[in-house]
Amino acid sequence: MAWLVVRLAISMSLLYTASAVFEDQVGKFDWRQQFIGKVRFALFDTHSQASKKLLLATDKNVFASLNSRTGDLFWRHVDKTGPEGHIDALLMYGQDAVVVVGNGRLLRSWETTVGGLKWETVLDTGSFQAAALVGVQDFVKYVAVLKKSAISLHDLSSGSEIWVENLPDSDSVQYQTIYSGGNGLVLVLGVVPNSHIVIVEYKIEDGEIMNKKSVEAAWMSSLESSCAVVSSGILLCVDQITQSLYTLPLQSAEQTEMRQIHLQTLDLEVVSGFRPVLTSTQPNPAQPPLSEFFLQLSPDHHILLQFKDGLIAPLRDFNPAYLAAFATSGERTVAAVMSPKNDTACSINLFSADTGRRHLDTTIIYHMDPNGGKPNRLYVHAFLKKDDSVGYRVMVQTEDLALTFLQQPGRVVWMREEALADVVTMEMVDLPFTGTQAELEGEFGKKAAIQDGLLPMVLKRLSSQFILLQAWLAHLWKLFYDARKPRSSVKNEVTIDVLSRDEFNLQKMMLMVTASGKLFGIDSKSGTILWKQYLENIQPNSVFKLIVQRTTAHFPHPPQCTLLIKNKDTGLGSLYVFNPIFGKKSQISVPALPRPILQTLLLPVIDQDYAKVLLLIDDQYKVTAFPSTKNVLQQLQDTASSIFFYLVDSSQGKLSGFRLRKDLSTELIWEVVIPTEVQKIVAVKGKRANEHVHSQGRVMGDRSVLYKYLNPNLLAVITESTDTHQERSFVGIILIDGVTGRIVHEAVQRKARGPVHFVHSENWVVYVYWNSKFRRNEFSVLELFEGAELYNSTVFSSLDRPHPPQVLQQSYIFPAPINTLEATLTEKGITSRHLLVGLPSGNILSLPKLFLDPRRPEMVSEQSREENLIPYAPEMPIREEWFINYNQTVSRVRGIYTAPSGLESTCLVVAYGLDIYQSRVFPSKQFDVLKDDYDYILISSVLFGLFFATMISKRLAEVKLLNRAWR
Amino acid sequence: MQQMKRLLDVYVALQALFALSCCFSDAEPGPVAGSQSNGDRFRIEGRAIVPGVKTQDWISTARILVEGEEYVGFLKTDGSFAVNDVPSGSYVVEIVSPSFRFDPVRVDITSKGKMRARLVNYIKTSEVIRQPYPLQIRSSGPHTYFMKRETWGWTDFLMNPMVMMMVLPLLIIVLLPKVVNTNDPEMRKEMEQSMNMLNPNPELPDVSEFMTKLFSKGSSKSSGGNKGTRSIAPKRR
Repeated sequence: MAWLVVRLAISMSLLYTASAVFEDQVGKFDWRQQFIGKVRFALFDTHSQASKKLLLATDKNVFASLNSRTGDLFWRHVDKTGPEGHIDALLMYGQDAVVVVGNGRLLRSWETTVGGLKWETVLDTGSFQAAALVGVQDFVKYVAVLKKSAISLHDLSSGSEIWVENLPDSDSVQYQTIYSGGNGLVLVLGVVPNSHIVIVEYKIEDGEIMNKKSVEAAWMSSLESSCAVVSSGILLCVDQITQSLYTLPLQSAEQTEMRQIHLQTLDLEVVSGFRPVLTSTQPNPAQPPLSEFFLQLSPDHHILLQFKDGLIAPLRDFNPAYLAAFATSGERTVAAVMSPKNDTACSINLFSADTGRRHLDTTIIYHMDPNGGKPNRLYVHAFLKKDDSVGYRVMVQTEDLALTFLQQPGRVVWMREEALADVVTMEMVDLPFTGTQAELEGEFGKKAAIQDGLLPMVLKRLSSQFILLQAWLAHLWKLFYDARKPRSSVKNEVTIDVLSRDEFNLQKMMLMVTASGKLFGIDSKSGTILWKQYLENIQPNSVFKLIVQRTTAHFPHPPQCTLLIKNKDTGLGSLYVFNPIFGKKSQISVPALPRPILQTLLLPVIDQDYAKVLLLIDDQYKVTAFPSTKNVLQQLQDTASSIFFYLVDSSQGKLSGFRLRKDLSTELIWEVVIPTEVQKIVAVKGKRANEHVHSQGRVMGDRSVLYKYLNPNLLAVITESTDTHQERSFVGIILIDGVTGRIVHEAVQRKARGPVHFVHSENWVVYVYWNSKFRRNEFSVLELFEGAELYNSTVFSSLDRPHPPQVLQQSYIFPAPINTLEATLTEKGITSRHLLVGLPSGNILSLPKLFLDPRRPEMVSEQSREENLIPYAPEMPIREEWFINYNQTVSRVRGIYTAPSGLESTCLVVAYGLDIYQSRVFPSKQFDVLKDDYDYILISSVLFGLFFATMISKRLAEVKLLNRAWR
Repeated sequence: MQQMKRLLDVYVALQALFALSCCFSDAEPGPVAGSQSNGDRFRIEGRAIVPGVKTQDWISTARILVEGEEYVGFLKTDGSFAVNDVPSGSYVVEIVSPSFRFDPVRVDITSKGKMRARLVNYIKTSEVIRQPYPLQIRSSGPHTYFMKRETWGWTDFLMNPMVMMMVLPLLIIVLLPKVVNTNDPEMRKEMEQSMNMLNPNPELPDVSEFMTKLFSKGSSKSSGGNKGTRSIAPKRR
């Protein structure tokens, strides 16, 4: 029977070739969320009052325009990753946004309404320092870019270079800022640390040096962090050691040294160890900056000061205040200040910049997420109301990369969780049953059957049926009630309380771990974030491993997940245990991990609370078990001789296998050394633990069976040559038995290089590499077979397999670059497999494994036709119907996660990168459920038609018989 | 794998042939980008056209990808593009848009900065079918991501072979006696002849007979002996 199903599945998949999306299925079970990353620059379009644009540049090299009323993307441009796409500066004037990219390599101007490029210029090499808009006579016409050794001026409308000048003494002077007050000059400020400041004046028209002077400043180390220009060209600096402010008119010839103003004279003091920060504002680049500025003296102490006639006067002291920012609308400049209100909320108030007076009724209450981080950036959008007063909205960015957009009196307009732009790892967990379902399950529990007699069991049965009936009626009533209401008002709000497993287990909880250390629990059906938890003090270079120790199947024990957080440099790790459904931290005591962790191992051994045992191996090969109760230790002692694990040391090219001893120490069993001079280990992968293989073999054309080599301990090791020359580079694959260390197979692809993506599953390994000779991507598939007979069909043992497997291999050309590769996974493994290929274009290709079959014949024969083998073709086809995410492209797809659902035909897919896309795939079509377009009307009309036809003909026949009898 | 190798051999030969026939100064356009140390960077330019669609409707979602995401370019408001800072080598340039389909183009850049564009051919990698440079990439229409649903119509129903097989004989049975005059002796003779033609070859085993034989065999096993087969035997011609 099973064979039949498999063959049926294969023939079905051949008929339709692959699963595809129908147009009416759009958005039915899939969703996409787009992200941008950590915001580095944000500018509100203040060009017109009605504008909703918010321009953002992020650390993910994304430049985007957001609708500030909804938080949705207008458009988004994703540049190259790495330093070459890094956005250094964002300037905006009118409809155009000027962006400096790639350490000052490119200067781009974007038309912000359409989202198209206006112009792009390549700048000379040199590390970027600063960029500024330059105005002449109230009009901004130019943009100036300061590099380490040169300054260039570009026309704002065409991007053409007006002039470029080398900076004087650029090897000794660190030029750091540009200032232009709209008076026909561009000033470049540089510093020689702990010596003096250099000021060079350039004429806008031709770049001629008008003036150059140097001013003594022995205390100064850097201009950027401690200085600002205020009022009409006054350089203002702050120094925490001398506790004083320094002022210098930039363009006056008389004053040749900085004037010192002690902070004490202003009754101010810098907290020791804190670097004070000056913030000034220049609303119009063609005009000098305002004379008001903020001085931050400690993490929560800001003060608004004014510079007037060479004197500094405090306008208002904000203590405590976390954040402060200026905003301008028309001619009015305001300052927004965020101060703590109580433990969970902050209040934001608006003050007029020139007087420091508080605007009435401008308070916005910002509620801090108890599971989130502290706010660290404040962006203000000020606008003029009809009555000429200033209104404002704020965007708050927190440490955990959440963006919250608020308006008065504290309504959250929208919120974005930008931490999800960098998902590191994820898992899917089944949802728990509802109370009633759980109760019904409990009825059939073992304990209940023993304790109760017959009658109580019957009563229990009846009562549970009654409960079910009640629930069903309530459901019907709800349906009826909802149907009466207009469709728009029916809200499908998803909360944790109403979540329960659906009948096919298609809805699951997605656990996502992000690089910033924020954990998310997301409903897979709707994409709603159900819970989030920010883990503080996560090092930026941490690696994460998420382990599901106990699923929801063990009611009443709560499900349990463990996150291993490991510092990449030191290797020291820590465990965070939580409930994946509610996101709550578990109270279970966690073992301390004093030594670097090398390897983790989730055993099928369970403790008395049904949690799987996690083994952690440290750098002295000592094993820590978690949970480590007596029961567990006893079980471990019993099974120790059959617990093996492997370690990979890619720096020494060493693979080693260990066995657990009874006292939880380990012994080395085997070691394979791959010489690092020639090749390096790139990746090692075993098979997925939750994978099921339904069929033990394949039926051949002549009705014999070719048995698969299903070694659960098999490891696929990918190596790359250290020599990267086109002719000599190669990619190697080694299949190693993880228990015995026996090399099962070895293959080398010459004239090939990485990056290698591969999938290891069932009895096959599929890997992709770059063929450097022909400059194309190639797929190669390795399949392992035992042959026509199984050696030991009941149990597989690595120690007792005398015959090496037969290995078949075939390669194909793949006509596109590849970002990531994964295979579909279903409940029982009956459904045919597909490979999910993430392409740089953002599409996810569902490629039938049928095309990657090393038994594809060159010549078609009767037998190969019988087996449904596709004749060999060197080039793999890519069809647009195979893109499971149609136009919902996933930028920079980095990983694809597949999980089985309760339906055998259905596999849940989550692709994550910059965006997150969730969908379902049906590799062999939906053979176990009725199709979406199943024609109920036709089938019922045919049935009724037949029924009535028989009724009528019966009646007619009776009449006829009667008539004949009378004759 | 062997097949692959054989194919590759053929292509190598082809490649040599092309190298001879091709007068392009850099017949082997594959200096690896990494081996270049002079740091000369070039610019790939071109224009993308979607016939009948305004540029502002699609350029904000489109990107130019050179060899995967190795180099990225963006489209200008007029549909033209330039990818800067590309070292010499051979690259596949692709315009990626979620709504429109563009064919990729291979661009070869010599170490002197000479450029040419040609069709992408992953099998015969050195075949040169020139494309205009600066690139002119015209969209071949919107993507067809979706499968067509099979819709049900009366014509489908009537054209179904099963229905036709049922309806046509019915028509023949009902209409034929009315059309053909059966009283005509000549006609009758002709019909008889054709009936003989229709009769199957007497040597061929009949399907129904085969079935009865099969089933009777099964039943005979229980009754013991081969009485069943014997009883059928006389039927055999």
